[in-house]
Amino acid sequence: MFDFKGFSMQWYRELFHDTRMLIIVLNTIIVALLSALFSTIFGMLGALAIYNAKKRQTKNMLLSLNNVLIVSPDVIIGASFLILFTIAGVKLGFYSVLLSHIAFSIPIVVLMVLPKLMEMSPSLIDAARDLGANSWDVLTKVIIPFISPGIFAGFFMALTYSLDDFSVTFFVTGNGFSTLSVEIYSLARRGISLNINALSALLFLVTLLLVVIYHFITLRNNKASGLGVQKR
Amino acid sequence: MNVASIIQFKNVTKRFGNNPPVLDNVSFTLERGKFYTLLGPSGCGKTTILRLIAGFTEPSEGEIWFNGQKINHLPANKRQVNTVFQDYALFPHLNVFENVAFGLRIKKVKKTEIEAKVKQALSFVNLDGYEYREIREMSGGQRQRVAIARAIVNKPEMILLDEPLSALDLKLRTEMQYELRELQRRLGITFVFVTHDQEEALAMSDEIFVINNGKIQQSGTPTDIYDEPINRFVADFIGESNIVEGKMVEDYLVEFVGKKFECDDKGFNANEPVEIVIRPEDLEITTPELGRLQVRVDSQLFRGVHYEICCYDKDDNEWLVHSTKKAKVGKEIGLSFDREAIHVMRLGETEEEFDRRLETYADKGDSAQWKVN
Amino acid sequence: MESKLSRNLYSFSYFLWIVIFVILPILLIVYYSLFDIEGNFSFVNYQKFFTAVYLKMTLSSFWYAFLITVITFLIAYPTAYLLTKTKHKQFWLLLIIVPSWINLLLKAYAFLGIFGTYGVANSFLKIIGMGEQQILFTDFSFVFVSVYIFIPFMILPIFNSLNELNPTLLDAARDLGASAWTAFYRVIFPLTIDGVKSGWQVTFIPALSLFMLTRLIAGNKVITLGTAIEQQFLVTQDWGMGSTIAVFLILIMILFMFLTNTRKRGV
Repeated sequence: MFDFKGFSMQWYRELFHDTRMLIIVLNTIIVALLSALFSTIFGMLGALAIYNAKKRQTKNMLLSLNNVLIVSPDVIIGASFLILFTIAGVKLGFYSVLLSHIAFSIPIVVLMVLPKLMEMSPSLIDAARDLGANSWDVLTKVIIPFISPGIFAGFFMALTYSLDDFSVTFFVTGNGFSTLSVEIYSLARRGISLNINALSALLFLVTLLLVVIYHFITLRNNKASGLGVQKR
Repeated sequence: MNVASIIQFKNVTKRFGNNPPVLDNVSFTLERGKFYTLLGPSGCGKTTILRLIAGFTEPSEGEIWFNGQKINHLPANKRQVNTVFQDYALFPHLNVFENVAFGLRIKKVKKTEIEAKVKQALSFVNLDGYEYREIREMSGGQRQRVAIARAIVNKPEMILLDEPLSALDLKLRTEMQYELRELQRRLGITFVFVTHDQEEALAMSDEIFVINNGKIQQSGTPTDIYDEPINRFVADFIGESNIVEGKMVEDYLVEFVGKKFECDDKGFNANEPVEIVIRPEDLEITTPELGRLQVRVDSQLFRGVHYEICCYDKDDNEWLVHSTKKAKVGKEIGLSFDREAIHVMRLGETEEEFDRRLETYADKGDSAQWKVN
Repeated sequence: MESKLSRNLYSFSYFLWIVIFVILPILLIVYYSLFDIEGNFSFVNYQKFFTAVYLKMTLSSFWYAFLITVITFLIAYPTAYLLTKTKHKQFWLLLIIVPSWINLLLKAYAFLGIFGTYGVANSFLKIIGMGEQQILFTDFSFVFVSVYIFIPFMILPIFNSLNELNPTLLDAARDLGASAWTAFYRVIFPLTIDGVKSGWQVTFIPALSLFMLTRLIAGNKVITLGTAIEQQFLVTQDWGMGSTIAVFLILIMILFMFLTNTRKRGV
């Protein structure tokens, strides 16, 4: 593709000498970590809310609403969030990107945690209450430990979703704030440059790392699911 | 309320939504230190009674009293009752020690005390040395013991067991029946055991409550219930029985399959229609001439301990016989039985009426085996 | 009592999210579609949508999405079928799934290199004597790259439904006299139709709304509904028209989901 003249760290060096690029990388990481953290918390609460819904219809309705953002095309999410932030007076930039990432990661976390909750035998909660646990004890000593594999998986999924996202970010990023994928896009529109090659490799490695971690988490989950109490 | 009673249901009804009630106006009293069994087919309401005692649900109507206090709205975590669940409900993220210690940790018991109590509880169920095993490393029977240890370590006044043996294989189940009974004697606390297995109920209980369609059909000691079932349901559910229709000609004389037989029952109206129960093991095979009933052998199965022989009389009533002797299929045989083997059931009789009638026999003292609490 | 309060409290944050980020954005899109570029209330956007220009654009977007979905399906189904027959099927599946984990942009970017004037594809064409061709910025390259991207998403649900299929059903069909082909279209295909439907769902709708690929690979030769929305929102700044197209995209999406609705059938 290019004349190959041996390996060189030159492009990486160039990449990191570029403070603007460094800031973008940092932005991407901060947005990913924060959005994963918040979406995990809200997603877990959401899964509990769906799990605790008494009526079947309420449960199904909540689940459908939850999945809207998963099935919606990115352009629609991006465009509608753009309108939302403009109306709400949120300045496009760090906060609008962070809020969007939290918003579209929440349903993934819910979908990761909910099966774990469903898997949990309801008698576990009865047993804890029977042994004197109040609602807080039940939540912290039984439910959260039980669903923790789902919570971890949700966190990593949220992290990858955030790192991976281009379309939604592209809509709500405004001027002055940029993430890696938006930066790659605008560089790529200008044509091939070795700068992006280095950047791409970086993003690729990070994604791969996350995938491997996620893989190990699911592997552990599968092992753990055989651990449930035997049922007839 | 007397001192011995620990829990009392007063006209308790439980319904979910607009469905027919799961429990229909149930009243009973359980005494301290006894082994009770709630027996019935699935969906009869036995588990609902257990959940009401444990506090997982609240009654729709009626009152539940515990130790002289009304506890209708007392949440489960405030009740002096612990449960052994059908699926054991052991916490998979905690090891054996932590599972057993769960209740004590909630109560903020001192560390050294927890250690001692857990060890003691585990040795009570013969699980010394298993403290630091993970739950997934334990077999079904061992999990069962952990669940029991987790309940008894809290020193509850009552232990509820929800079909705890149903997941075990036959051999282990029999073994656990002995152990549970023994455990209850040693601890001296009230056990309420729910099962659909009549053999289990007969083997373990001080007293059985037979439940069907949300109502208590009959309660009493295992022998009472086996020997004197109150109605067709109880007779059918507990053990195997031959049930035929008949009528009470007069006191001590009953007519069925077109013949009159002497019996031990009285207090019926003249020619009142009744149902007759004769247990298969009370029937004995003889020659047609000597037999009180003449039947033809239809089929026969070898059950190990005995042969189960299925016969029909000329009116096409089925007669099940348990016999150690083999019969020949297609042959005419005679069946003989004692007058005590005939048990007469009044149609639609309630438990109180039934008890009252039996008491009149006891007053006369003419049959010593009637023993009603 | 305290349990109910805390339960409501944590449910509340989730419900708040649903209202603000799920329901409100959709309402806003519908609301904005009712205003023209000057901010006056009118149905002019809807009138515009039904003019030849927009209808042609919608049709062409449909056509490309359809083409992409069909080609993807024709490649994915046999592949999934072969996968279930291989020895280490989970490993092969993983290998096929791996590209779907890589950022879409990176894949598009890689194709910029491959299809470029001095890229691998052209070197190959030169070797086989077809000479240098313009590959990048054509509708061919767009369809090719899209198919490449969607293949894993199509394979996964089809593979899962094929894998769940009870093999004795096939034996039963053969036992009852069905030929291999009859067994396939009378037994296997009907039983895996749910997987096929979800495969179509995860391909067709995104294919309608792709915008980054059309910009990078198709070089504005192809305009999908997604590209049009992006254009209206970020270039023309006509949010009303953008919202109108988005409304139609949502309607099409709902219709398509309805048509490919999977009902669970017991086997």
